Amino acid sequence: MSNSLLTLTINGHEVHASPDASIIQAYAHADNAITANVGCMGQGVCGSCRCMIRKEGEREVRTALACETKVEQGMQVSFIDYFIPEHIQYYDITAIGDGWNWLEDTQKAFPEAEHCRHCGGCNRACPKGLEVENGVAQVVAGDFGAAADTFDQCVMCNLCTLSCPEHIRPNHLGLFARRMKAARTLRPVDLMRRLREIDSGKMKVEFDGELAS
Amino acid sequence: MSEHITGIDYQTALANLRSSDLTMREDLPPQDELLRRFHPDYQDGARIKLPIGPNAGDYCHPELAKLLISQPLINDYDLSGAEHLNTDVLVIGGGGAGAAAALSATEAGARVIMANKLRIGDSNTVMAEGGIQAAIGADDSLQQHFEDTFKGGHHAANKHLVAQMVTDAPAAIRWLIGLGMTFDLAKGENNNGHLSRKRAGGTTVPRILSYRDFTGLEMMRVLREAVELDENITQLNRHPAIELLSDEHGRCVGAILYDLEKRRLILVHAKSVVLATGGSGRLHLQGFATSNHYGATADGLVMAYRIGAKLKDMDSFQYHPTGVAHPPHLAGALISEAVRSAGTKLVNGLGERFVDELLPRDVVAAAILRECREGRGVVWDGQVGVFLDTPRLIAGDPDVLNRLVTLGHIAHKCGVNPAEEPVMIHPTLHYQNGGIEIDGNGESCVEGLYCAGEVTGGIHGRNRLMGNALLDIISFGRRAGAAAATSGLPLKKVRGGVGHVHNLQREMTRAGLVSEVKAPVLYPNYGKFDLREHAGLQEQQS
Ligand SMILES: Cc1cc2nc3c(=O)[nH]c(=O)nc-3n(C[C@H](O)[C@H](O)[C@H](O)COP(=O)(O)OP(=O)(O)OC[C@H]3O[C@@H](n4cnc5c(N)ncnc54)[C@H](O)[C@@H]3O)c2cc1C
Ligand code: SF4
Ligand code: SF4
Ligand code: FES
Repeated sequence: MSNSLLTLTINGHEVHASPDASIIQAYAHADNAITANVGCMGQGVCGSCRCMIRKEGEREVRTALACETKVEQGMQVSFIDYFIPEHIQYYDITAIGDGWNWLEDTQKAFPEAEHCRHCGGCNRACPKGLEVENGVAQVVAGDFGAAADTFDQCVMCNLCTLSCPEHIRPNHLGLFARRMKAARTLRPVDLMRRLREIDSGKMKVEFDGELAS
Repeated sequence: MSEHITGIDYQTALANLRSSDLTMREDLPPQDELLRRFHPDYQDGARIKLPIGPNAGDYCHPELAKLLISQPLINDYDLSGAEHLNTDVLVIGGGGAGAAAALSATEAGARVIMANKLRIGDSNTVMAEGGIQAAIGADDSLQQHFEDTFKGGHHAANKHLVAQMVTDAPAAIRWLIGLGMTFDLAKGENNNGHLSRKRAGGTTVPRILSYRDFTGLEMMRVLREAVELDENITQLNRHPAIELLSDEHGRCVGAILYDLEKRRLILVHAKSVVLATGGSGRLHLQGFATSNHYGATADGLVMAYRIGAKLKDMDSFQYHPTGVAHPPHLAGALISEAVRSAGTKLVNGLGERFVDELLPRDVVAAAILRECREGRGVVWDGQVGVFLDTPRLIAGDPDVLNRLVTLGHIAHKCGVNPAEEPVMIHPTLHYQNGGIEIDGNGESCVEGLYCAGEVTGGIHGRNRLMGNALLDIISFGRRAGAAAATSGLPLKKVRGGVGHVHNLQREMTRAGLVSEVKAPVLYPNYGKFDLREHAGLQEQQS
């Protein structure tokens, strides 16, 4: 392991970091107050450290999760803040009907989804390498099961939403499909039975002569 | 913990491991003695008595005590220009407990403001891997769940809270499914079949329900979406709470937030407050690395203690046996208990096993610390630890990495091929066992102050079982939110200030206590955040 430090730019500040460090660690050891774009610090699940990076000598800017990306000499990094876009449609999962109207429900909550131009912007943006564009097509086609699989490992970093020219919010569309599928169809028999036993008073906890109500 | 590391250098230890027949050392002290001598909670300097405040005379970790008895971040003078907001319920902290509380409060008809230090979801909840306990198996019962939990917590838990939580569990799972959370099904079964159940250390039957090995991510992304789509919840991201507000009767009637974007203070008046700020791993107690998220800095405990809430078991923490020890920049990251359940052995620098890997977490952690302290650990790049023998596991069960996806992931980040080299591990600060005392509705002894999740104490006693924290946050989050929604004074009558802060300061003066520390600290010290500097506030001599 080499001990010489690398130099890179993070949010406009020059930062020196050990070659083993992730971007988030390099940032943490730099001299400014860190109050955003960090959460799980390395597990790669919270999606808050989303950033754009440009490597030295390359023109292309790509997106990444800073806690999963190692520093490189000459790298330029800008973090991207989190925001909730204004044009979102509110839906209430508990108010959505019995499941026969999935396609209509989808169209109501995500009217833009049908306009996907298959530009692939969302795929390029995804730091988890998910097939986002496919996922969008699956939801639109009503194949919620396939879409649920496609978005299985999504960390909701919102990078695909940022990159979509049609304002589709692909990750939220994917989550909608996942949520619908669970809320409408997951009815585990063992859970149903246990709930019934509890509700009917057949099963309860007893201790020290007192009953838990 | 790392004052003078002695041990066996990595290359030698690796050779020892490879030639080892994995004999077990025979000299492990009895559990009580092991814990007393090696568990961090029992070490010299791991607890002191709190001199003042609601818990005067009770034990507390000294680092935490420094924060509980400290100076506030702001004084009255700073509040003059602050903006005012009103709401029925103010929820502080947007992890799983806060989200559950906010959703339940609006279900009960309240308007909610949710204040988050980071962004909603950036929390310990999203990081949970293993799963959530609920006694739904035919071979299981609420009673067994109750007894396992109580025993696991060394008989220190509040039985009423435990009974209530385990009874809530199946309904909590149903509620989560209703919001769209998915759970794994037993092999080969469909959505109307049985849920898949895993076994946790310290339980009598398999009781852990999960979604793959990222249960917390699945839970949090569903909860976050539900909160963001609820028009009765106003989200304030990057608005840490820095103090609670009290009225002249000592009731909690809101909080002071700091808007990081606009660099100004906001006073939120509320009929009641739900505090759900999570744990304290990022305080790095006794120099330990941690598995916790960046914002876990005990803010809730500090604010609650100042307003007069009673705490419990403030000297009891969970050190998870298998945190990453090398490379240094990943130190503390969690390697799930599932890896040990799958049969992976712990091996010291001499190539010996030294503890039954499936004993409770506190015992295994103490045994590892003993190896390190007595010079049988592995030393590499200034880090000390023991080996988690993944090569042998994978040789015996080549498919195992398909089940333990995150293990492969984290080994890769460590620069290790787990089929060839072991991962080097060391206990990591994982969970705050104690916290604010609550009743069955999550209410503290301060009227109007409800609390839920890792910030509370009494549910897990002095040791928490895997899967009970995720249950706790849903069970008590929902109860606290619902109770908060239907309590408190009419908003018109609510007027709050920081009189309670002055009371504690007067107590400090009377006891001759001087402190330069300002709290809550909001971010770990390497976050280099100074509120007064950030907000451009002038230092006032008071
Ligand atoms: C790596 C890891 C794995 C785990 N695995 C499991 C598991 O498998 N099963 C299980 O049951 N438990 C597990 N746990 C424990 C469990 O995840 C947590 O105890 C639980 O999620 C805590 O939820 P919470 O809502 O109380 O706190 P958190 O989820 O931590 O949320 C607290 C929130 O409050 C915010 N906050 C803090 N201070 C302030 C402030 N001053 N103002 C405003 N907001 C503030 C934080 O930023 C955070 O967003 C694990 C924990 C970790 C770290
Ligand atoms: S699908 Fe979108 S939100 Fe999800 S991980 Fe990929 S880019 Fe991020
Ligand atoms: S970025 Fe938007 S328009 Fe382009 S492929 Fe993805 S979803 Fe379709
Ligand atoms: S800090 Fe959570 S994904 Fe990077």
